[in-house]
Amino acid sequence: MSDRVTLASTTRAEWIKFRSVRSTLTGYLVTVVLTIGLAALITSAIRTHWTSTTELRRITFDPVSSSLGGTLFAQFAVGVIGILFITSEYASGSIRTTFAATPRRGTVMVAKLLVLSATTLVMAEVVVLAAFLLGQRIYQGVVPTASLGDGAVLRAVLLGGVYLTLLAILGFGLGLILRSQSAAISVFTSLLLVLPIIVIILPTSWQNTITKWEPSALGRAMMSPTPALDTFGWATGTLVLCLYVAAVVVTGIVLVNRRDA
Amino acid sequence: MIRLTSLTKRYGDTVAVDDLDVEIRPGVVTGFLGPNGSGKSTTMRIIMGLDAPTSGSATINGRRYHDLERPLHEVGALLDAKSVHPGRSARNHLRALAASNRIPPRRIDDVLDFAGITSVADKKVGGFSLGMSQRLGIAAAMLGDPGVLLFDEPVNGLDPEGIRWIRELFRSLATEGRTVFVSSHLMSEMALSADEIIVIGRGRLITQGTVGDLTASADGVVTVRAVDADRLANAIEVGGGHVERRNDGTLAVSSLNAEAIGRIALDAGVALSELTPRRASLEEVYMDLTADAVEYSSTAAPHE
Repeated sequence: MSDRVTLASTTRAEWIKFRSVRSTLTGYLVTVVLTIGLAALITSAIRTHWTSTTELRRITFDPVSSSLGGTLFAQFAVGVIGILFITSEYASGSIRTTFAATPRRGTVMVAKLLVLSATTLVMAEVVVLAAFLLGQRIYQGVVPTASLGDGAVLRAVLLGGVYLTLLAILGFGLGLILRSQSAAISVFTSLLLVLPIIVIILPTSWQNTITKWEPSALGRAMMSPTPALDTFGWATGTLVLCLYVAAVVVTGIVLVNRRDA
Repeated sequence: MIRLTSLTKRYGDTVAVDDLDVEIRPGVVTGFLGPNGSGKSTTMRIIMGLDAPTSGSATINGRRYHDLERPLHEVGALLDAKSVHPGRSARNHLRALAASNRIPPRRIDDVLDFAGITSVADKKVGGFSLGMSQRLGIAAAMLGDPGVLLFDEPVNGLDPEGIRWIRELFRSLATEGRTVFVSSHLMSEMALSADEIIVIGRGRLITQGTVGDLTASADGVVTVRAVDADRLANAIEVGGGHVERRNDGTLAVSSLNAEAIGRIALDAGVALSELTPRRASLEEVYMDLTADAVEYSSTAAPHE
């Protein structure tokens, strides 16, 4: 066995670091509470008002994405987990200790990404499945439900977990570029919240073209079994979001190799 | 062994390190001395591969930091004691470092014990005093049992007990044949703990040598007292010495040593009542050497 510093040994170190701070656990707890809690809240509200819901609403109703509505809030929690995983190292200066132990910075970043995405993916999939099942349970008997036996439904639910994971990586990439927790959180929330608001001010014809490129619209495309008319299909949506995230992460890695630590 | 070859680092127009050429040998404690802002920390970060030099190179045992296969086994460094995630325990900090360099976990208990922080090993680092953080930094530096050690201002924040401990640590590490490179802006500290001293100012090498070399190179002043001081003063000046008359009637002679002055007095037939050579203290030598290189020095307030 080689005793050199490798991606494997660095990943073990990053795993220890990831687990040993409270912010990671807090972030995941918030993700669980938001996704499952809001699923319960949203689906209960829909069930209560179902009899008074208009015919048009009933026809276009999607039991899958409505039960996954909590992900639109949980995305901020996972984004912050990703941001803190890198900016806390810059804030404390421990990034220097990290780079002294593993001088190849690209290796450090890949190790961090492996730890962040594997943990977030496992956690997010469990959470979206739980939110979906809880939602269908609440709908049962009153509101139409969906089943995981339906391929499109299963895909939409699983892509909900993928969406959250990609946003955690996006947060990490922004943190790597900006090296400041507050700056990264501002940019992250701007991309998800402020951008859509700005688009609303634009002329309607522009809105239709631009809206579907927004990260949250891509998320909606990924999480609905039947795509809405104004969004991409699930495959294109996933691909576009992956490209965004890849662009941000690659920029971050290029910068970290150039800059003094 | 650390080798700096024509090492230069510029930040825009500011030159932080200016064409530095030095070799830091194993087996001795080498003090790296200079006023604040003279480029000591930058040099250390470049050695550690954290900052890229503008030109020149820094190598450890002949290789750049980036090319070390197990860096923590070759180099241990304490650059900034507070650079640990405040929410992490000391033990977990060391566990992560050990994992990255495949250092056996039992070594963690050894270095915790060595640094005297076993009792706080599972406490969060955020609550540590500066002295405890310095000890954790030293534990981290010793984790891979490296042959080269770098300490940037290690004495800051330590209590007298800790200072004595760290001086003895440097000494024993050097005796074991390791390269020990310690920066400080305090000459008095280096005079006590270093064998060799490298003095820099404004990023440039000012001088390098043993503690003895540095004081010997400085012009000493010889205090002379004689019954006929005027005649002696004349004779000394003729003999090439520089004489300054003090208020207490003694002469302060520079540019000549005690032996030469004694001979002049004999030739001139003047009886001496005192002949005292005084060697400049290391502190004075240092102040003298770095006087031009202090980046921020206090000057008298300008007059209206």
